[in-house]
Amino acid sequence: MRRNPTKRRGAPAPSSNPSKRLQHKGTAETPAFAQQQHAGVAIEEDMMDEDVFLEETALKLEEDEEALLLMQNEALSARLSRWKRPSLSSSYLSSNENIIFQQLDIDHVIGETHKELIPGSSGPSAILRMFGVTKEGHSVCCHVHGFEPYFYISCPPGMGPDDISRFHQTLEGRMRETNRNSNVPRFVKRVEIVKKKSIMYYQPQPCHSFLKIVVSLPTMVAGCRGILERGIQLEGLGMKNFITYESNVLFALRFMIDCNIVGGNWIEISSGKYKKTTKNISHCQLEVDCLYSELISHNPEGEFSKMAPFRILSFDIECAGRKGHFPEPLHDPVIQISNLVTLQGEDHPFVRNVMTLKSCSPIIGVDVISFDNERDVLLAWRDFIREVDPDIIIGYNICKFDLPYLIERADTLKIAEFPLLGRIRISRVRVRDTTFSSRQYGIRESKEVTLEGRVQFDLLQVMQRDYKLSSYSLNSVSAHFLGEQKEDVHYSIITELQNGSPETRRRLAVYCLKDAYLPQRLLDKLMFVYNYVEMARVTGVPISFLLSRGQSIKVLSQLLRKAKQKNLVIPNVKGQGSGQDSFEGATVLEAKAGFYEKPIATLDFASLYPSIMMAYNLCYCTLVTPEDVRKMNLPSESVNKTPSGETFVKPDLQKGILPEILEELLTARKRAKADLKEAKDPFERAVLDGRQLALKISANSVYGFTGATVGQLPCLEISSSVTSYGRQMIEHTKKLVTERFTTLGGYEHNAEVVYGDTDSVMVQFGVQTVESAMNLGREAAEFISGTFTKPIKLEFEKVYYPYLLISKKRYAGLFWTNPNKYDKMDTKGIETVRRDNCLLVKNLVNECLHKILIDRDVPSAVQYVKDTISDLLMNRMDLSLLVITKGLTKTGDDYAVKTAHVELAERMKKRDASTAPNVGDRVPYVIIKAAKGAKAYEKSEDPIYVLENNIPIDPQYYLENQISKPLLRIFDPILKNASRELLHGSHTRSVSISTPSNSGIMKFAKKQLTCLGCKTVISGANRTLCSHCKGREAELYCKTITHVSELEILFGKLWTQCQECQGSLHQDVLCTSRDCPIFYRRKKAQKDMAEAKVQLDRWDF
Amino acid sequence: MDVDRKVIQRQQSTYRSMDEIFEIKNEKYRGQQYSQIYFTRLHHMRNLLYSLIPKWRPDLPVCTVLGLEEGKQCVLVGTIYKHMKLKPRILDEYSKERSVVPIVKPHNFMHPEDHLILEDESGRVKLSGNVLVPSVFVTGVILALLGKETTDSEFLVEDILEAGPPSQIERPVIGGEDKYVVFVSGLCVGSSTFNPLQFQLFVDHVTGYLGEVKEQCIESKIVRVVIAGNSIEIPKCVLTGQTVNSKDQSKLFEPIKELDISLTQLAVAMPVDIMPGTGDPANFSLPQQALNRCLFPGTSAYNTFFTCTNPHSFELDGVRFLGTSGQNIDDLEKYSDAKDKLEFMERTLRWSHLAPTTPNTLGCYPFTDRDPFFIENCPHIYFCGNQSEYSSRMLKGSEGQLVRLICIPRFCETGVAVVVNIGSLECHTLNFSTNLD
Repeated sequence: MRRNPTKRRGAPAPSSNPSKRLQHKGTAETPAFAQQQHAGVAIEEDMMDEDVFLEETALKLEEDEEALLLMQNEALSARLSRWKRPSLSSSYLSSNENIIFQQLDIDHVIGETHKELIPGSSGPSAILRMFGVTKEGHSVCCHVHGFEPYFYISCPPGMGPDDISRFHQTLEGRMRETNRNSNVPRFVKRVEIVKKKSIMYYQPQPCHSFLKIVVSLPTMVAGCRGILERGIQLEGLGMKNFITYESNVLFALRFMIDCNIVGGNWIEISSGKYKKTTKNISHCQLEVDCLYSELISHNPEGEFSKMAPFRILSFDIECAGRKGHFPEPLHDPVIQISNLVTLQGEDHPFVRNVMTLKSCSPIIGVDVISFDNERDVLLAWRDFIREVDPDIIIGYNICKFDLPYLIERADTLKIAEFPLLGRIRISRVRVRDTTFSSRQYGIRESKEVTLEGRVQFDLLQVMQRDYKLSSYSLNSVSAHFLGEQKEDVHYSIITELQNGSPETRRRLAVYCLKDAYLPQRLLDKLMFVYNYVEMARVTGVPISFLLSRGQSIKVLSQLLRKAKQKNLVIPNVKGQGSGQDSFEGATVLEAKAGFYEKPIATLDFASLYPSIMMAYNLCYCTLVTPEDVRKMNLPSESVNKTPSGETFVKPDLQKGILPEILEELLTARKRAKADLKEAKDPFERAVLDGRQLALKISANSVYGFTGATVGQLPCLEISSSVTSYGRQMIEHTKKLVTERFTTLGGYEHNAEVVYGDTDSVMVQFGVQTVESAMNLGREAAEFISGTFTKPIKLEFEKVYYPYLLISKKRYAGLFWTNPNKYDKMDTKGIETVRRDNCLLVKNLVNECLHKILIDRDVPSAVQYVKDTISDLLMNRMDLSLLVITKGLTKTGDDYAVKTAHVELAERMKKRDASTAPNVGDRVPYVIIKAAKGAKAYEKSEDPIYVLENNIPIDPQYYLENQISKPLLRIFDPILKNASRELLHGSHTRSVSISTPSNSGIMKFAKKQLTCLGCKTVISGANRTLCSHCKGREAELYCKTITHVSELEILFGKLWTQCQECQGSLHQDVLCTSRDCPIFYRRKKAQKDMAEAKVQLDRWDF
Repeated sequence: MDVDRKVIQRQQSTYRSMDEIFEIKNEKYRGQQYSQIYFTRLHHMRNLLYSLIPKWRPDLPVCTVLGLEEGKQCVLVGTIYKHMKLKPRILDEYSKERSVVPIVKPHNFMHPEDHLILEDESGRVKLSGNVLVPSVFVTGVILALLGKETTDSEFLVEDILEAGPPSQIERPVIGGEDKYVVFVSGLCVGSSTFNPLQFQLFVDHVTGYLGEVKEQCIESKIVRVVIAGNSIEIPKCVLTGQTVNSKDQSKLFEPIKELDISLTQLAVAMPVDIMPGTGDPANFSLPQQALNRCLFPGTSAYNTFFTCTNPHSFELDGVRFLGTSGQNIDDLEKYSDAKDKLEFMERTLRWSHLAPTTPNTLGCYPFTDRDPFFIENCPHIYFCGNQSEYSSRMLKGSEGQLVRLICIPRFCETGVAVVVNIGSLECHTLNFSTNLD
């Protein structure tokens, strides 16, 4: 299907699951770093566990039997067996083998306590499930028993061991009161006194008493926490409310932390320590029960840093929408599903198939499976998923579109047995709406489809997270990363193709397959598997958290692990502020705008914020409250007072946890980088590169964690101290450079600091060559580094030469790391990747920068601008460069202000409702010349319509509203009177406007031949030239023919390119991808060609 | 001094132009795409190949790409598509960032990972095996392949059948005196390499103003001069640029006038064919249409002056000529590999197709109902203009076809014209040099 990130905003809530037995929590999973967007009770829990009772999602037995009947289709069952995983060896079958597997997903369910493993216990308990793959490619489901949910509270003074059991009873009573309906035999299992210390604030005492409260089910943690935080009446102590510790840790994460398991690592269970499940409830080949204490978790080193051969399914669906509507599961059938399955580490998919509704001609190398009704298509896909048993499911926008669509469609068709797509045999897939809101990524509405045991990896989500692009359509993403355009078939054509013949459906299938193939290629090309698994390993969270949650869970996971080692506990502190508390941010030194034609050396702080935290031992546990500063009377040599006025103790009193985490991360990164240099094997390299990247990102996110006011454990004292040190360092560097590198100090020139950003300072040493600037840069970096506390280090990395500094955060320059050759052109803040700019702006800016910086030819850049403006005014501009695109997010009535694209969409709807853009589509338009006084929003027009009817564009609009600002930004520092020179010169005087072929007046105009030389009306015998131009025949003919010849070149290139994209020579090009840069050019070339040919024919006299 | 005043009569021969198939005339751009020319080409060539297959592999079934069955040997006919990694594409203009290092234009876009795909109306299949060498073939060639589908869904090729060379009409026996045709190409009047004296020497020589009687006797046997493209060079920027004052403008068209004068001298003496080439004021796409006569107001007055299409096909005394100004062969050189230019020429005959890379990498008119580049009859003389050096050899076909292959060098660089004896098909060069050392 066409995917558009903005798609389906207003889709109805999934009513997909008929079963009321399911627990739907409307909770927005709100990752940290997040601003709470919704009010309500549910928000109270930032993260909460959801207890899914095994029986509740299960189908009834008879249903189960029916559902498990595989398709009767013989051909299909033959295929099913081919898709199967390798069969188990006898030692596995007889349980004599140690099971070693890479786990990819961990969740938990509530089930009856395992009597054999935990004798003497009964009632429901939480069972953790780990899903993974062995190195032979067998799927594993491991039920882990015996791990109990718990949290801590600080022990009230005076409470002794004798008071514990009374406290236990009181708590148990209160729990029972609030959960009257529950039939759980016991809520609070145990209360123990433990010796721990809070992570908050420096405390000289070694430890305090804490109560560890062990409950029977994970959800009870939240319940208990609520009671204790609100306050509880205790005998002899009165009403007490407690601060809870580590009460907001998800159960699965708690388990992983306590068992030393990190996301995506290898787990071993020795033979004899596990029991085969008596009745398999999953589709996994190896399904075992074991105690959590028997698990051996391997560090991802050596052999265990590898990846198991897991199965990655990439799929895509096509739906036949009704005319003028985007497909909706209530009305529109699923007509094709294409699937590619690839083993991790292999280049090519081993399963390639497409399931189609109605017959479809064969496709080479692809298994085409056709069905007569939609129900069979869906069920075949379900069987396919079950047999091929993918560990990771990828696709483009699958989470928001494809998966929910399939499930909602099956619901519409009343196929109750369809949503059995997870690994648990009898468990239905659940869909729910989620809102992911984060300061970093903005608010994203999404759907969460739970496929137990299978990791979903939606490439669209990944792209939106990891890359800043102007458009996230699959087409533009693949153009960006793979350098190829994707054929785009408008969804109105999809229905036509479906209703055609087996041939047209084949055409559609090929298209559908390509949409399934591109996500796989993106995954490979961008090394996502390696990078994300490494990120999970480094930060210790399950892989699925990385996409569904924010940054802070990663830091929290590391913090919890470290705290556990140090016997510290982390308080559950609610986000204190409204999110508006802020502190002074990073400093930016004033930019001295200009065009610098001498080398500018850049001094960078390497990992500035992590270094500051390490250098000054900034941590929760080293912070001294102002009160304590007075009370404790700490000697001044063992504390640091930060520029923002906070006090932290030095490492000799208490080493900080955050600095320790950072040290480990940075050391590990150094090691990974060193290993990367040594490594030869491409897979090993991929792992190591992913790891060093993950380590870098993790180190940098620690600072943000402390500053997120509504986060898990905000501590503004730390973050404001970090930035204040940062500011100090930048100023300090500036001061040292300008003091030391002077003519008085024996240098040739006085150094000047032209600009400084968060962690870098740009210095003009005044020397002429890159080499001497590099030498001085190195000298300065070394000298200044010596004045900082370790590990803060100023590094010299690069020289900009020449350097165009426009304003703060906006600059461009050639980037040199060695004196012989520049590396690249580097720009910041200039490149106009904004969506609402037309391509012309981007091209113009790029070309100008190229000419100014690389060719060092300002006059030619000026000339280029003038030529471009002249082309624009003379109506010679390629229309595709002028197209502006905006997303249509709601209909016209909902917009308060009239906008160009919405108005156009309305007008197009009146012309032809079937091809007009719908909500969710992107609307491309150009600004046309309209009657005087027309509003800007009235001047938008469909580019195709413009092409077909020769409608003149409005060059003034483009000149004033699109290109003038970016151009003046660049040229102001370079030229005097840039505006007059560029925008008002003689090149702007000659204007040509095409005559529209459809305007009213033209209907009355009579067409007459004009002389090809001078445009005089000619008549009589003269068909080509007037009598005055007769002598210039050769010259004028040459002009005509050159024009024709240029168009022919273009025509050929454009149309053969489209043949290439569509992958067929013998079929006409259908593509209507308006995202493709050559779409309009192709159309225009065709039209221009026809006109030019007519002109040319007039010479044949 | 007693001078022999005997008048030397120039030989004559009967000329029949066969350029009609290359003329576009009233065809129009009506939104047609390139799929149709491929479709026509496949249809036409397939009929031809189907008639040959019974002789080649009588025992095997002929399949379509869709009808392939794994492991079953069969014959497949379709259009070759060559997947090329380095092939320049118009989309590169839009690629992420403009590369800082200027791209050096390679003359050849081959890459070891290039592979071939066979396509028919029903689908595509990737070709494998050592029999079919990707470096030899190009997109657009139509072949019959013997092989079978492998487990990887590739087609393992075991043998290849090409359609040509096509059959040849019988070469007439030309009795009496020898007759010659002179070929010249790449005059490039107006370019920096153009040497007016050198060209004048050529004109004077073939028209008989140079040399003694014996030489004049030979020169009188030249029945025709064929100018195979790139006669004029007009700086491109002039025609597209925005600001050229009128004085300069007329100056820029001087080369055309200059050529007109020289051509007049030639046309006075004998028939002259002029073909358009890449640099000439003609359209770009093949078939290039004849240069407009209004460019040569002087020469056009003579009925011995013929403006022809490129490709150009004609008969002289029953001997068949076919040739181009070089674009077809130059394009093959960019996208495939051979030991010399003549081998490329041979291949086009073996494929029965003058320019298989059209429209893929070589521009052509989007024909809807025909493919004019299909070679129906094998020419006797097959020439190709604008090559770097002269080369020639005879090609002998399996059915006894005899073809003289000629690469005509660029005159402005080499001073070489090529003379062919239409009776014997023998071939030699004329070298003109103004270098007095």
